[in-house]
Amino acid sequence: MSETPIIRFENVTKHYDAETTVLTDINFELERGKFYTLLGPSGCGKTTILRLIAGFMQPSSGNIYFNGKLINNVPANERQVNTVFQDYALFPHLNVFENVAFGLRIKKLGKKEIEEKVLEALKFVNLSGYENREIAEMSGGQRQRVAIARAIVNDPEIILLDEPLSALDLKLRSEMQYELRELQQRLGKTFIFVTHDQEEALAMSDEIFVLNAGNIEQSGTPMDIYDEPINRFVADFIGESNIVSGTMVADFRVRIGEKEFECVDQGLNPNENVDIVIRPEDLEITSVEKGKMKVKVDTQLFRGVHYELSTYDDEGNEWLVHSTKKAEVGAFIGLDFDPEAIHVMRLNETEEEFDKRLESYGEDAYAN
Amino acid sequence: MERTSKTAKLYLALIFIILYAPILYLIFYSFNSGGSMSNFESFTWEHYGAVFSDTRLIMILINTVIVALLSALLATIIGVFGSLGIVYMRNKSIRNSLLSLNNVLIVSPDVVIGASFLILFTMIGVKLGFASVLISHIAFSIPIVVLMVLPKLQEMNSSLIDAAADLGATKGEILRRVIIPFIKPGIFAGFFMALTYSLDDFAVTFFVTGNGFSTLSVEIYSMARAGITLTINALSGIIFIVTLLLVVGYYFISQRGKSPVGMGVRK
Amino acid sequence: MQTKNTKTFYLIPYFAWIILFVIAPIALIAYYSLFDLSGNFTLDNYKNFFTSIYLKLTLSSFWYAFLITLFSLLVAYPTAYLLTKTKHKQLWLLLIIIPSWINLLLKTYAFIGIFGLYGPINAFLNVFGFGETQILFTDFSFIFVSVYIFIPFMILPIFNALDKLNPSLIDASRDLGASSWTTFSKVIFPLTTNGVKAGIQAVFIPSLSLFMITRLIAGNKVITLGTAIEQQFLVTQNWGMGSTIAVFLIIFMVIVMIITGQRDKGANSNGKN
Repeated sequence: MSETPIIRFENVTKHYDAETTVLTDINFELERGKFYTLLGPSGCGKTTILRLIAGFMQPSSGNIYFNGKLINNVPANERQVNTVFQDYALFPHLNVFENVAFGLRIKKLGKKEIEEKVLEALKFVNLSGYENREIAEMSGGQRQRVAIARAIVNDPEIILLDEPLSALDLKLRSEMQYELRELQQRLGKTFIFVTHDQEEALAMSDEIFVLNAGNIEQSGTPMDIYDEPINRFVADFIGESNIVSGTMVADFRVRIGEKEFECVDQGLNPNENVDIVIRPEDLEITSVEKGKMKVKVDTQLFRGVHYELSTYDDEGNEWLVHSTKKAEVGAFIGLDFDPEAIHVMRLNETEEEFDKRLESYGEDAYAN
Repeated sequence: MERTSKTAKLYLALIFIILYAPILYLIFYSFNSGGSMSNFESFTWEHYGAVFSDTRLIMILINTVIVALLSALLATIIGVFGSLGIVYMRNKSIRNSLLSLNNVLIVSPDVVIGASFLILFTMIGVKLGFASVLISHIAFSIPIVVLMVLPKLQEMNSSLIDAAADLGATKGEILRRVIIPFIKPGIFAGFFMALTYSLDDFAVTFFVTGNGFSTLSVEIYSMARAGITLTINALSGIIFIVTLLLVVGYYFISQRGKSPVGMGVRK
Repeated sequence: MQTKNTKTFYLIPYFAWIILFVIAPIALIAYYSLFDLSGNFTLDNYKNFFTSIYLKLTLSSFWYAFLITLFSLLVAYPTAYLLTKTKHKQLWLLLIIIPSWINLLLKTYAFIGIFGLYGPINAFLNVFGFGETQILFTDFSFIFVSVYIFIPFMILPIFNALDKLNPSLIDASRDLGASSWTTFSKVIFPLTTNGVKAGIQAVFIPSLSLFMITRLIAGNKVITLGTAIEQQFLVTQNWGMGSTIAVFLIIFMVIVMIITGQRDKGANSNGKN
């Protein structure tokens, strides 16, 4: 951690005019060589962060540091950052070779060096032999690779990827997810990836930033964010979840509706109102007698790997269940779950408070 | 960034000033009681009065408008049927050569059109005057109408026609109730363009007009060759206002036609 | 789709138009170019065209057309570019187009006053101590007025080409290290050449055939092919020679069209594919 972060945002705010603020007081640091994902719904400001790093726009206030140096006013063409655009932005009047060579020609490298580097970059993205093709002759996946080759050939310190997979079909997209992740590890460069697809983010990243309405809601490893969402928004955005309101009765005791359950959370105020998340895959179907909760099965869909059941408890809360077992629609069943499956979220908790609380559990857990 | 955008604004402002200055200059001096376009003596409506009391000029104005309206109307009718013919032409090479022939008059220089029409009218014995001018204006307006209507026809989904036929419409009904409403914006645009081409034309008219007949452009030309008269200035003031009204009117019609494409189809 | 009968029925006027007003006039021009003043079949008109008078005329006509096109392009490109950057660009474009709808003759007439001996330009020059100079009837006034007339026709196609340009291509170019100038010369300009070509077409060919502006602004000098045609047809009444010049004007037009023709590759080269 003593290393200077490659990118640091310090109280960065961006607004286009007086009314529309896209980013409010953003702070974060990025380490060298990691795969970062900015995740959020459209309009959350994730692309704005990317464009600020690329240099296509300047922050309205606050500072952006690159390797410890302030770069607020460094124009895009002087930053050691390259972008893979959402629509690829390949130059239609140039062929594949010239597209990839574009940045090198700007740098006025020798003819031989350019050729070597371009061919190597194309080989890197499995496009050897395509150098004389026109862009119009390339398929979507191939254009994607050309765009990546065009970025990496310049040997930038950071590669920015603006929803680069959104235009591809499902199968190609998951293929490219593997490829991108592998590419990042081979290159050892910092990747900053923007997406609104939570599965993509979970699969590829070292660290995810979940954004909403111009704020970073939570950052952490994919597992942290999936297992310990900080609030309703994150829980809802990342994966499917059952989110209900509850009350913290005491340490390790939480009440949902009329029933009390054992949980692992502590240090909250007695009778504090909280949001409670239980992931559908943590709920297990059992008999009504054995279950901690009694619900009625409303609908059931076969999803291939599991059944997806929509059930309701007596208070009318919906509980989504992912189970390999089948149930009868209209029947009452019991739901069982571990205390760890219950995740308690304090209302309006900041990320720092949240992290501190989680850390204290960790210490406790080991102490016990 | 600030500096360049300031120079940019300055540049654009300069272009706009240059574009509008001559027109405003003309209109300004149309109110000059002195007889020239150089020193403004005092304000007067006198030249506008001169325009309206000059019966010859009024006749020419009326002629010009009649020729424009008639030629635009006839060119639109012929052009619409022409574009229908081109679009539903099965043979691709005939269709392409039809399109090329259609565009010949658009790219041809006015002088060549005027000269060749002059030869044509003399050969087949059309007396130079109202008829020859009207026919010429129809002739050079047809391709513009076709160019305005054709894209609309091409953008029309052919399943619309199939759907209409499926619902029991005859060919005539399909044309009246489906095709024409759909391409209406294109027809309006074509009519409007034909109108402005006719009003603006000088060169072709100059060649094919005889001694007894004149349009505004030709009249202004001969007046201007004789020297400066502020009657022309007053005329330009009137024309400017009329043009603005036409543009605004056209703008609204085209805006209305743009949004609900389906509207026409529903009726 | 249509039966043979209905199809031909509604196409009659259109086909008649093509035969009578597209094919026949060109044929007539070509035919008349082969006759002299007294109606004898001859190739003399073509011989005449290759004499120094007409060759000089052709050259000067091309030279003026070239200058007019060049200046129009130099003024129009930055204008179109800056227009695409404005907030209400369609409205501003409309404002650029409106003057082109004002009768051509009136605009030309205005310059008789503006450039006149007692006009505002001379008055302005007077302030700086220059004496009254004759601006009217000079090459400058001719080119200036022509450029003024043609500018909207040059701006429109270039504006459309620029407007269709995918903005992320410009970002990409900057991102890859290109300065603003390199971005312009390597990305923006190559991708808008179709607009430029269309603009050149719309200005160059009419510039060759101008005759009204030459008469009113450049004096009675015969300096363009258009003036020469008008002279032969309406003044000298030598339709044969006039037709011959028209034949060459048509040939030049076709050549210009071929040179500035749109290649398919460029047609969808706005990058939005």
